[in-house]
Amino acid sequence: MKNALLVALREVKEYLQDKADLAFSLILPIVTFALIYGAFGGSGLFHGTAYVVNEDTNGIYAQQLLNSIKKQDSLDLQLLKRADADNKLNRSDLTMVFLIPADFSDKLNLGQPAQLTIMQRGNGGQDGQIVASIVSGIVSEMNQQFTVAAQVSQALSGQNIPPAQIAMTTMQFLKRESTNPLVGIDEVSIGSKPNTVKEFLPGILTMYVLFSISLTAAAINDERKKGTLERLITTRLTIGQLFFGKFLAGVLRGFIQTLILMTLSWAVFRIFTPFSFVETLLIALLFATACSAIGLLITSIAHTGEASTWVGVFFTMTMTMLGGTFFTITKGTVLYQIGRISINGYANDAVKTLINGGSFSTLGVDIAVLAGVTVTAFIVARMLFKAVPQGK
Amino acid sequence: MAENFLAAQDLQKSFNGNKAVAGVSFTIGKGEIFGLLGPNGAGKTTTIRILSTVLDADAGDATIGGFSLRKNPAEVRSLIGVCPQDLALYEELSALDNLIFFGRMEGLDGKEARSQAMVNLALMELTERAKGKIAKFSGGMKRRINLAIALMGNPKLLFLDEPTVGIDPQSRNKIFETILNLRDKGLTVLYTTHYMEEADRICDRVAIMDGGKIVAMDTPLRLRSQIGDPDKVTLEDVFLKLTGRSLRD
Ligand SMILES: Nc1ncnc2c1ncn2[C@@H]1O[C@H](COP(=O)(O)OP(=O)(O)OP(=O)(O)O)[C@@H](O)[C@H]1O
Ligand SMILES: [Mg+2]
Repeated sequence: MKNALLVALREVKEYLQDKADLAFSLILPIVTFALIYGAFGGSGLFHGTAYVVNEDTNGIYAQQLLNSIKKQDSLDLQLLKRADADNKLNRSDLTMVFLIPADFSDKLNLGQPAQLTIMQRGNGGQDGQIVASIVSGIVSEMNQQFTVAAQVSQALSGQNIPPAQIAMTTMQFLKRESTNPLVGIDEVSIGSKPNTVKEFLPGILTMYVLFSISLTAAAINDERKKGTLERLITTRLTIGQLFFGKFLAGVLRGFIQTLILMTLSWAVFRIFTPFSFVETLLIALLFATACSAIGLLITSIAHTGEASTWVGVFFTMTMTMLGGTFFTITKGTVLYQIGRISINGYANDAVKTLINGGSFSTLGVDIAVLAGVTVTAFIVARMLFKAVPQGK
Repeated sequence: MAENFLAAQDLQKSFNGNKAVAGVSFTIGKGEIFGLLGPNGAGKTTTIRILSTVLDADAGDATIGGFSLRKNPAEVRSLIGVCPQDLALYEELSALDNLIFFGRMEGLDGKEARSQAMVNLALMELTERAKGKIAKFSGGMKRRINLAIALMGNPKLLFLDEPTVGIDPQSRNKIFETILNLRDKGLTVLYTTHYMEEADRICDRVAIMDGGKIVAMDTPLRLRSQIGDPDKVTLEDVFLKLTGRSLRD
């Protein structure tokens, strides 16, 4: 056991000193993290830009409309000159532009219907349609205000109330109405709130541990090629110790990798509690153990470095796809059933459960599968393992 | 002659039906430097790999320090040190870390491993580069480290498979000096080389192998005398006479 540990520590030491390996285990995860953070880090809601040509430059209602658009969280406002807008629409640089005509405010002041024109290319595009519907919501709100104001002032006319006071009161009512609407919208999410980071992070985490399979497999072949593996046989180290040392080295590599990733994700996404961090680490350790055993199995079957790297990568990618790393696989579908052969599917599920606040005690199946794979792969690998082809 | 430290009987090994070692028997006395010579592909390295427990012989056995290769490989391993033909080093680690690691694999504790490593580095005049990464070493330095590792754990029998390939005369002399000093302290050595004058200089006895078999075995002097005036004939002449002039592999 002590010798095996020395073998493992030696390998880990070299791994930490090898720049390529280190780049793989540190920089790549950080890049992946930056990418998911860029993709999922912001809010998941729609965000678009309303392009507006305002020809009613001094009109107060035009200004009011623009202010309302600006106030929308989901919309950015960008003002354009008419010629510029036409140009961009022609070149398909834009698909939709709103035009506030010069007489917009004047007409409204006179109590006449005013027009907001939507100039669009084709159907304006999907984003354009959404922006259009948000803008028409704003417009209908304005309409409502005019209607109410007009009706109130008509009802109160002749009662000697100053028009300014009527307008003021109307505005107050409308404001109260918009903050306390009669028909409100209550958001109810089924299950916990969807969170893309929590959805995809476990997959990325397990994918990198899975990659350690290829590393374990390659590391042994690499040592065989260097001749140090054969040299080890001539020492007092037994083949059993050597095998176990390589197994431990794989576990440590995978574990170090996960530790880095988990710490990063804790720091960046704050998705762990200290308790769920430790629990997830335990699952990761078990998964790293399974991966190391599989890595050894691959080495024992594929005798050259290239062969084992390819088998390792192929295995990793297949398991990653089936395990739902890149897309969510819904329970009950055929793909889900196929995905059951993916060991990182189990690890993903377990990690997902933990970071979503689930209990460790519900992970019996996942843990049993991972442990079963570990033991089976370890035993088969040990039976097939030869440090020297044609030899021991 | 002193008692035998190694006795090999009828060792055989085939790879895919080709006999690499075809019935090799020889003995090496305690404290003797025994040269194993032969053209490329003669079976020298395969013989060493069998004797150092890496490969199982198809037939035959050997006793080393009284232990049978087949029955007590673990005991045999505790007596031997191997300097392989191809460098076998951890390039990313320092010279010292390499020596300490293999020392620990030989059963030394951390402290012992470190002190032996320092002794062996000094022996190879590499003390100043102890902390340097192997990857940055010259070929000659790597060869010296390759040998220094073989000395870890104080082996009683040293297998040196072409330890002086591709190095300058200074490094080579350093290696000879070390081997001769250790021999004087009772170490037994099996040495292979393609440099005949080297074998002539340091080997007490040599065996010339060809095609997996030993074709001649004696002291260099007696081998030279067999084909002429030993002062004029070189070991290379003997070698070429016995193994012919045609290329092997
Ligand atoms: N692992 C192996 N698989 C197949 N053939 C092998 C293997 N190892 C050695 N051989 C063959 O066995 C024969 C003896 O090889 P060996 O390496 O023992 O020769 P050698 O005397 O050490 O040669 P050299 O002087 O070139 O080092 C060669 O024909 C070689 O091709
Ligand atoms: Mg050889």
